[in-house]
Amino acid sequence: MNVFPPMLNERLFVPFLDEVDGTLCLPASATAAEIAAQTTLYQLRFPLLLDESLPLRDQITATTHASASCRFGPFCDNILGMNWRLPSGRIARIGERVVKTTTGYDWLRFLLHSGSRFGEPTDYVVRLRPDCGFTVVALFEGTYTALENGVSQLLHSGWMHWWDAVDFITDATGSKVRVVVHCVPSEAAIFVRQLERIASSIHAHFTLHQPTSPPFDGLPDLVLKTTVDRVQSLASELSREVERSIAFCYCGVLHLYLKPGVNLTERIHALAQKVAPELHDIGGDWYSRWLPAMPPTITESPWLQTLEQAIHDTCTP
Amino acid sequence: MGPWRSFVLKASSIDISTHKHSLVKSSLESQLKTLLPRGRVFTSAAQLAGYGADGLGYKNHIPDAVVIPADAEELVGFMKGAKALHVPVILRGAGTSLSGGPVAAQGGVIVHTSALKRIREMNVKGFWCEVECGVALNDLDAALKPHGVFYPPDPSSGPVCTLGGNVASNAGGAHCFRYGVTSNYVLGVEAVTLDGTVHRFGGPAGGRGPWREDWKRFMIGSEGTLAAFTRFWLRLLPLPEKVWTFRATYPDLKTTEAAIHALVAHTSYPAAIEMLDPRGVAMVESSQMACGLPEGSFMLLVEIDGPEPLVNARVEPVAELLRRAGSKDVMFSDEDELRKKLWKARKAAGGLLGQLSPAYVVQDAVIPKRALAEVLQLVYDEADAAGIPAVNVFHAGDGNLHPNFLFDSRVPGDLDKVELISKRLMQRVIEVGGTLSGEHGIGNDKSSYMPLVFGPDSMRLQLAVPASFNPAHQMNPLKVFDNRRFAA
Repeated sequence: MNVFPPMLNERLFVPFLDEVDGTLCLPASATAAEIAAQTTLYQLRFPLLLDESLPLRDQITATTHASASCRFGPFCDNILGMNWRLPSGRIARIGERVVKTTTGYDWLRFLLHSGSRFGEPTDYVVRLRPDCGFTVVALFEGTYTALENGVSQLLHSGWMHWWDAVDFITDATGSKVRVVVHCVPSEAAIFVRQLERIASSIHAHFTLHQPTSPPFDGLPDLVLKTTVDRVQSLASELSREVERSIAFCYCGVLHLYLKPGVNLTERIHALAQKVAPELHDIGGDWYSRWLPAMPPTITESPWLQTLEQAIHDTCTP
Repeated sequence: MGPWRSFVLKASSIDISTHKHSLVKSSLESQLKTLLPRGRVFTSAAQLAGYGADGLGYKNHIPDAVVIPADAEELVGFMKGAKALHVPVILRGAGTSLSGGPVAAQGGVIVHTSALKRIREMNVKGFWCEVECGVALNDLDAALKPHGVFYPPDPSSGPVCTLGGNVASNAGGAHCFRYGVTSNYVLGVEAVTLDGTVHRFGGPAGGRGPWREDWKRFMIGSEGTLAAFTRFWLRLLPLPEKVWTFRATYPDLKTTEAAIHALVAHTSYPAAIEMLDPRGVAMVESSQMACGLPEGSFMLLVEIDGPEPLVNARVEPVAELLRRAGSKDVMFSDEDELRKKLWKARKAAGGLLGQLSPAYVVQDAVIPKRALAEVLQLVYDEADAAGIPAVNVFHAGDGNLHPNFLFDSRVPGDLDKVELISKRLMQRVIEVGGTLSGEHGIGNDKSSYMPLVFGPDSMRLQLAVPASFNPAHQMNPLKVFDNRRFAA
């Protein structure tokens, strides 16, 4: 017998900013500027942003990772809770406002990147991080082998935990590795010395930049999820077929940006089909905001039917 | 005449049921032996006794049988035939769960996965490894260390707990504040549903694989209620090169809370922020783990790590923060011996509690950290009023409380008092915006509190998950939600 009777209403999240926990509840339509407007005062930041002006919901729908996922993990580790509008129009609370939970089944991670198949988020509870006040971007340019060696050095040491981003970028100008460091000003010299050491050891051209904000690369057309040791070579292999690619080296995630214009969806589809078998073999996947979700497999169809029935039942008293 | 007649009838019915039970049991045993020709099948009372409880201890549910499959292939074979056994099936690793998870609450067969303990692959370049579900956590750490990588979740039961149990309960540990919990590190799960079908959700790349949906998300933390796990693909990190451990003591709860608030916002990103209350300190100091902690103090154990030049530059700012928050007793060290001594004291706390009391309940609530002092005071007030000793040793950085209520289950009323305190605590936890469990799972210990968390719609969604994979609730019934009862 239950100690407590069933709850009659959902415990929905209401907007808040908890500067002690570093958590913020805000509408899913909030933009980077709107998030910053609330967090800057408390020297906090939400580092996983791809675009300055698009709603957070669009960014999370477009991909599972951002550049700063190297240090802070994917979106699903940085979104703690949601108010979720079910297809019936009713809103359910998903997840928590605390950073750690194992209360019940993890609908949060299941729904977060499910597109609009089961409804949509109306509000997010996001995890914020201390704003250390200083950002520096280092660019390494050189041969593919030199950059591969550089990425290996950046990742395979205790320093790896402290790079906001280690991105392998290919575009019309060639290939480069971008490292984003976010630290207190007094530690900047320590980071720069380490970056210079790596640049020197791989004989790469090395420049430092001090942006006013972290890089906003925009939403990718196609996202590939592979392994850490495959992502850079995959980016290189596909470089001729795209306008720009950004590999998040520690995450094994590749963001592909295709040249806009005719047949965009056909080109994305062809590219996805080309790499899908390789990705699926190793438990990876692909996703494009321009293409409909692939149909469910025969095995997962009955599981989905049960979930969809439960979602449908939420509109019946 | 009345009582005598009643006695005769009762005795007679016991005889009949015992006979029937032994027939059923012998039939079950022979069926199990057919399903596990190479593995082991236990049915004698002496063999089953050790499987009656988990780390929760005081709740005992003796299973009808225990099986130990010889390998993954045999586990799959068992799962193929399990439905026809018409008894509950409970997967179990080392049994160190603290929530009444891997126990036969409704009878049935416990499947002990201790033989599936191979580390199948370590891919250091790709930062992943593939392990079987029965690998002990510290064995994995020992295997990874020479390669300069590690798997961060670190529950205190590390020497014995298995990765299967860790994934099933989404285990955490002392270093979660920066490194996160198990779900942050699981790239893939191989799961076997009750029809014996093997599903691979994800893999070394950590995506969905060929599925439309990301099913591994439901598997992690599912407490054995959806499927049996055979192996996992886990994400690794490079080992930090340098570690500094700090110990600071505070005179009262309010100053300790202020220190915690300052630490969680600090730009050194501590890896661990742990707290022992004065009762925990006294317990440690009266044991072999004594490390000179001042009597009556609240202790914070803090750790920072990273590359040597970076972490060394952070030592003094962290020490200064701890002093400014009100500690006159800040000590720190990078010496392994000293650091290990402190951590041994912290991690042995559970075992030490066992020396103080025949039974204890440890809660696992997570709360917003601004409510730390208030909720801890509630724990002390309620426990003191009921005459139940409470000791707090917990993950302060995450707001993950572990109040331990010490009691004697042989004393009438003691358990009722603990349950009443737990009930009031959980109500307050939810009121301040917290949740029931951070890393232990729900098991059958906290399942009755679930209506506090889930409203009508989210409850429907929750119950739909086991309905998808295990609609008859044959797998680990009466866990997570207490209405999950198996009807054979």
